[in-house]
Amino acid sequence: MLVFDQLKRADRKLQIISIGVLAGLIILLAGLWWVQVVSAKQYEANLKNQSFRSVRVPALRGKILDRNNESLVENRPRFDVNLYLEELRSQFRYEYTNNVLKENVRLHPELIKPAKPSSLSRFFASVTGGSKKANADKPNQEQAKLPVALRIELEAEARYRVASNITAQITSTLQEPKILDRVRFGKHYAQRPYIPFPIAQNLSAKQVAIFAENFTGLRAVEMEIQPTRTNLFGTTAAHLLGYIQRHDQPEDEDEISYKYYLPDYMGKTGVEATFDSALRGKAGVQSLLVNNVGYRQHEETLVSTEPGQNVSLTIDLRIQRAAEKALSAAMANVRGAVVVMDVRNGDVLALVSAPTFDPNAFTVGVSTEQYTEWNNEKYSHMFNRATHGAYPPGSILKILTTIACLEAGVLNPKEIFHVQPDPENPGKGCIFVEGRKIRDTASPGDYDFNRAFMKSSNAYFIHNGLKAGLRKLVEVGERFHLGESTGMMPLEEASGDYPRTDNLKGWSTGNTANLCFGQEITVTPLQIAVMTSAIANGGKLYFPRIVRKLQAADAEMESDASIFRPGVLRSDLHLNSKHLEIVHRGMLADVEDPAGTGAKSAVKGFRVTGKTGTAQIEKGNKIIDHITWFTSFAPFEKPKYAVVVMVQSGASGGGTCAPVAGKIYEVIQKIEQGAMPLKVVAQLN
Amino acid sequence: MYETHLNERKSLLDWPLVLALLGLMVVGTAFIYSASLANESARTLSWFRQIHVKQIIWYAFGIILVIVMCMFDYRTLARWSIIAYWLTIFSLVLVLFIGTGGASWGAKRWINMGFFQFQPSEFAKIGFILMLANFLSRPPEELRSQKLFLKALGMIALPFLLILKEPDLGSALVFFPVGLLMMFVAGVSGKLLAKFIGGIGIIVALLLVDVLFAPPDSKWQIKLHPYQRQRLLTYFGKDFAPRDATPAERKEAKILQNAKSYNVEQALISVGSGGLTGKGWRLGTQYSLGFLPRGVAHNDFIFSVIAEEKGFVGSVIVLTLYTVILFSGIKIASQARDRLGKTLAIGVVALLFSHVFINIGMNIRLMPVTGIPLPLLSYGGSSVLCSLIAIGILQNVHMYRRSY
Repeated sequence: MLVFDQLKRADRKLQIISIGVLAGLIILLAGLWWVQVVSAKQYEANLKNQSFRSVRVPALRGKILDRNNESLVENRPRFDVNLYLEELRSQFRYEYTNNVLKENVRLHPELIKPAKPSSLSRFFASVTGGSKKANADKPNQEQAKLPVALRIELEAEARYRVASNITAQITSTLQEPKILDRVRFGKHYAQRPYIPFPIAQNLSAKQVAIFAENFTGLRAVEMEIQPTRTNLFGTTAAHLLGYIQRHDQPEDEDEISYKYYLPDYMGKTGVEATFDSALRGKAGVQSLLVNNVGYRQHEETLVSTEPGQNVSLTIDLRIQRAAEKALSAAMANVRGAVVVMDVRNGDVLALVSAPTFDPNAFTVGVSTEQYTEWNNEKYSHMFNRATHGAYPPGSILKILTTIACLEAGVLNPKEIFHVQPDPENPGKGCIFVEGRKIRDTASPGDYDFNRAFMKSSNAYFIHNGLKAGLRKLVEVGERFHLGESTGMMPLEEASGDYPRTDNLKGWSTGNTANLCFGQEITVTPLQIAVMTSAIANGGKLYFPRIVRKLQAADAEMESDASIFRPGVLRSDLHLNSKHLEIVHRGMLADVEDPAGTGAKSAVKGFRVTGKTGTAQIEKGNKIIDHITWFTSFAPFEKPKYAVVVMVQSGASGGGTCAPVAGKIYEVIQKIEQGAMPLKVVAQLN
Repeated sequence: MYETHLNERKSLLDWPLVLALLGLMVVGTAFIYSASLANESARTLSWFRQIHVKQIIWYAFGIILVIVMCMFDYRTLARWSIIAYWLTIFSLVLVLFIGTGGASWGAKRWINMGFFQFQPSEFAKIGFILMLANFLSRPPEELRSQKLFLKALGMIALPFLLILKEPDLGSALVFFPVGLLMMFVAGVSGKLLAKFIGGIGIIVALLLVDVLFAPPDSKWQIKLHPYQRQRLLTYFGKDFAPRDATPAERKEAKILQNAKSYNVEQALISVGSGGLTGKGWRLGTQYSLGFLPRGVAHNDFIFSVIAEEKGFVGSVIVLTLYTVILFSGIKIASQARDRLGKTLAIGVVALLFSHVFINIGMNIRLMPVTGIPLPLLSYGGSSVLCSLIAIGILQNVHMYRRSY
């Protein structure tokens, strides 16, 4: 063979050369083997790394529905106009060579040394005719002589001009002229030219029509539909539903290193946050092939998205809206909460907190002023007072004091207790506990249980409560799980402040006296609703339920849904039915007796029972604020609904809160009579 | 009588050599075409201005030149060698005054002749081989003299220094292996050669030590073009920044270094990602997406394109074709009837081998990056013509080996 023949040459010198050449070729062969066979994987990975961009595509977020399948939150289409930069490459180049470069050459001739044709080529050119022609053939030679920094700057200028011309043309045709933001465009181009650049967003129906008529068929400009989270009823149930915020770097369960994320949203509060993973679904992955300057060449969907599940709530939109309307009418700048519950199973039918906010604002971006206003310390619009706020319950706790006294056997409802007048204020009663005077809001005189409950006499309940003793009082509240959160809204729920029977150190008789009429402790409106429901249903304390089921968007069958069971019993309180009857009657009298404090909640033809409360907030020895309450259930004969109303700085429980409950019961009555249509027409503001 | 005649006719052409040559031309055309697809503006040119067509034209032109050359005995041609040598030296001087360098660091390597970018350094290599072979074609006793050795070194030094001035260190350095091997084969004193190579070795080693370790901006540092220093540093994987650099300087040096090693990195990714069998003709992504710069894909880095699209198998085929040519050359040298023929053939073999080794070597980071083309595969008129002339010389030595 040719090679071996040369190696065996008689001529020593040629033999040496043959060996040298062969050695050189073997070195190359070995090198190629190393690079192309042994390390091929590594270089393939490098190749992938530099020429593919994986883009995370978020899934369509699930809807949130009320108990009658009314949509509360869904995705509305939004029309955006996007610019595809890779389609503009030739325009960029044209603009650069024909306009930007020429202008700069004219303005600063010193910057650009035109390529000098070599003397020889000048000689040839003069023979073949004219050196100008030869130069005109090579416009790129000018480019080669430009300082690099200047060239980069001029190319950016050319790109900006092309993009801003298109933006101006399109936005002015859409009757909403806009100037392209130079910095934003430059940044987008530098970081992710393979992602389309948005030039107009949220087109109106008219603009969509104009665009379709004028610009269809352009390759570089396209109208795209972007799903936009919309709370159909604006501020309705804002605290319960929560809001979402743009979330650009989600920590996904899989370790794909995305180069880019399409905008995704994450629930920050309320149901949107608690059920975020179910609502959000599974993001998909798109793979873009890009070139050395980052333009997209080709795209491919590697993993398709899985839309999020729909969340069905226990809320009845009709009651929710009635409750919101009633609460906001309670007083000017109302700060308060309403909870409406189905006493038979703990389903929450309405959950209201005031003042409220508009979750829709977060999808477009909240202005700083708006955000500051919503976070005002006094009003804190975004704070869910119904579950997250803990307040002293005041006289509504007398319901539990009654149960404690009855169970301790120290209360005879018929027995008369004489309340002495307050020496400083003879119109009101008072009681002395260990020498300390406790003022009463009720008048002095003789009280049996019904009168004491209806008039909410503090002295009467302190007298009897002290007889039952601290341990008994605390034990009853413990059974009702006061001081523990219900677990309904894990992210935004307070547990309240309540003593434990195994740790009563530091509780004096004075403190115990205060506990008898609902001071010294705090509760959330939701806890009171659960408590009232248990009183109403004969002693079954349920876990409150807010979500009925999670269901895939395309699943029509109920069986495909994951259902949250209604009426999950937290504890059976084993309350004596006689004791309950005494309480029920007392609550009925509070509403139906014209002298009752809760008379303003009465509804004709619907027997409401209730208890008012006005807790005092003291600082030092001064009363600085009131928390007013009204807790109730109805109808009296066959309890079904519990309504709890709490208003901060209200005048009194009876005056401020009872009327709110009354208005809610009027709507509930209509629903019971079937006189209320299921559909509520969405109002978008 | 009849048989001898047949034999003479049969071996008029060295067939393995010719077939390997044709093979390389086919490969060259195919992959220059492939590499040119990436360039949008090039694709819109009329067909006769496409670079693969231009390459075919150069091949044809070169083949005609070879046929014309083979009509004369190489001994006749050698008489013209002095004129050829000095003409190329003249063009090397000329290029320093009127040369252009494209985008390469203000270097002056080409003479713009309108239709053709003439690269004198390529032709100088041919002129030099002819000149030295002719010079060494004298009685063996004279060859051993030191004076003759120094004269021969002078013949190397003249084009070497001129090309170094362009500057084009890679091309300039090629003269040494070519010249020294020719002297070795011709019978110049082995002792002198060994001494010289030893001396060069020490100088090169000192130079490298200086470049890699000398403190910057001190009197110890040898004056080199910044780009040459950077290429050497890149090759040896050293930081550009001196040890006492500030973080800002270091960062800047890092960016510069990344930019400088960009071509090599991309060439390596091309070659490596080709794997065993490659991605297929015209399916390479490195140059079509522009990672392998479009300015070099079809000339200095054509091997990356071949290796990416045809994989290790393609690389082996290319290496095999060169092996056939190189060993045909050695065979021709051994069969040459006189020392002139033998020296000429070995000169050509040394030239082609240096080019192949340096060019393929730089694609896989075995060698530093230089502007040395891959014979017959790289796009370019000067390179193609000179490679064909060189192979024409081999063919000529082969054809006239018996005509005493």
